Amino acid sequence: MIDSTKKEKLSLIFMYFVLTVVVVFTVAPLLFMATASLMPSKDIVKMPYRWIPKGFHWPNFVKAVAGNDGKFMFPITIWNSLVVAIVVSATTVFLACMTGYGLAKFKFRGRMVIFLMIMATMMIPFEAIMIPLYLVTTKLGLQNSYGGLIVPFLVNAFGVFMMRQYLITFPDEFLEAARIDGMSEIRIFWSIIFPNSGPTIATLAILAFRAQWDNLLWPLLVIQSEKMKTIPLYIVKFTAEKHSDEGAMMAVALLASIPMFALFFALSKYFIGGSAVYSSRKG
Amino acid sequence: MGASAKPGRIERKLARWGVIFVTPSIIFFSIFSFYPIIMALYTSLFKKNLLSLKKPAFVGLSHYKYLFTSPDFWNSVEATFVFAMGTFLPLLVLSLALAAFIMSVPKAKRFFQMAYYTPAVISSVVSAAIWLLIFDPRGLANQWVNFIMNTPGIDHRWLANSMTVRISTMIVYFWKYVGYFVIIFISGLASIPPSMYEAARIDGADGWQSFWRITFPLLRPTVVLVSIMSMLQCLKTFSTQYLFTQSGAPQAPINVITLNIYNTGIRDFRIGRASAMSIILFIIMLFFTWLQFKLSKADDVSY
Repeated sequence: MIDSTKKEKLSLIFMYFVLTVVVVFTVAPLLFMATASLMPSKDIVKMPYRWIPKGFHWPNFVKAVAGNDGKFMFPITIWNSLVVAIVVSATTVFLACMTGYGLAKFKFRGRMVIFLMIMATMMIPFEAIMIPLYLVTTKLGLQNSYGGLIVPFLVNAFGVFMMRQYLITFPDEFLEAARIDGMSEIRIFWSIIFPNSGPTIATLAILAFRAQWDNLLWPLLVIQSEKMKTIPLYIVKFTAEKHSDEGAMMAVALLASIPMFALFFALSKYFIGGSAVYSSRKG
Repeated sequence: MGASAKPGRIERKLARWGVIFVTPSIIFFSIFSFYPIIMALYTSLFKKNLLSLKKPAFVGLSHYKYLFTSPDFWNSVEATFVFAMGTFLPLLVLSLALAAFIMSVPKAKRFFQMAYYTPAVISSVVSAAIWLLIFDPRGLANQWVNFIMNTPGIDHRWLANSMTVRISTMIVYFWKYVGYFVIIFISGLASIPPSMYEAARIDGADGWQSFWRITFPLLRPTVVLVSIMSMLQCLKTFSTQYLFTQSGAPQAPINVITLNIYNTGIRDFRIGRASAMSIILFIIMLFFTWLQFKLSKADDVSY
């Protein structure tokens, strides 16, 4: 008996050890970004790396915001990314909720076929359709504009799927009662269904926001002018041109990550909920 | 379902509303998903240049024939699969192990979850930029590896030779997604009723045995799901490779299919050939999705 508790203790120590080593691995690069953004480049490449900056090296942030050409494109690209991410989250949530509601709570011919068709689009990787999509966008005259950045992502199949699964469990009695009270279908959707889907909507909005904040490939295709660039494009350009100025590079990286960190620490439950969705395969 | 012989007026009205609610999305998916994939298939049969005004010439399957004999494309296929396998296997094994460890230290569960998940929050471009500096000859990667292996002063040339640059991209990806999969596994593990472990304990099973006899079999659906999902993710990788090559890393070893599609279609304007590559990528991914359906149907457990 004593032997087995000792063994248990040892395995617990082992587990803590492994878990801690991995924490160092996951957190150190982030700490590196944060500390390096405060140092002049010559300190960053010093061996061994000193984790505590001696002071606050302001010029990094000035360079990051002003850019290589001194045109202060950084605030504009942040703004562009915010516009795209916010608009896409809003439309995704709204359209996914509406479609999910239609598929979950109404019976009409072809409902199952439509659902399966929408699900089938999940199998189409964006990378496989990006070139025709680019041609469509050009034909619609949307290249190099917010429209071009936003329109292909108005809604996504995963969102529809999530909303449908959620709304299937929504009690029918509420809807029937509202209909008997003479509420219009649009009002039922807007003032009963939509407000009562809070957590699912939050999860979905965050997924959409992140996907757009992270999106590199599509803006690379549709955006040509400096003024319309989004954050990932700015970082790529900055890193490729200024490969030598490490401090400024990390300052850009840090500034670009602040909105996501803020969202994460405020709403971590929905971030984590968003990934956990995959593991539940009910319905 | 009410199976009524003739639908009443209210049912018909409701059916109409259902159609109204789904119509916007149907229009959207038709224009931005179905039309493009059909167009990709169609364009792959033509010789089309993005800039030329000439009417595209029909070339049949010759793009595919070309690709199947092109060393450059086979190199991309190889690069993609090496990356996918080299990333997803460690990701799967380690995130499952870490999730199991975290479940046995409930007090620190939240801390570890957050610490592992944080890299997933930042964008892939930012993570590639951070690692670019870590892999610098004077960077942290050399310092740490030399410290662990006790080989002071050696430069492992992380971004210079073809073997290490591949490993570097895998490390970046692994770093970014490990927390994500740990969390998926944790929620899978949390759904296993604790009573099963108690029963096993009473029967005298130790931790190792109960993991292999209870946890693993019950977790199989999650394992299958996660492996296919991460495999699909890895096949689509783009940002890290793009940023690394932009910053001077050798292209050939990390010229994954998506990067090749981008360069062929957008940089070299060969739309037809790029479309053929897209279709091949689509078929590869379709195969893995099909595999997932097949495997996950086979083992629906109930407990």
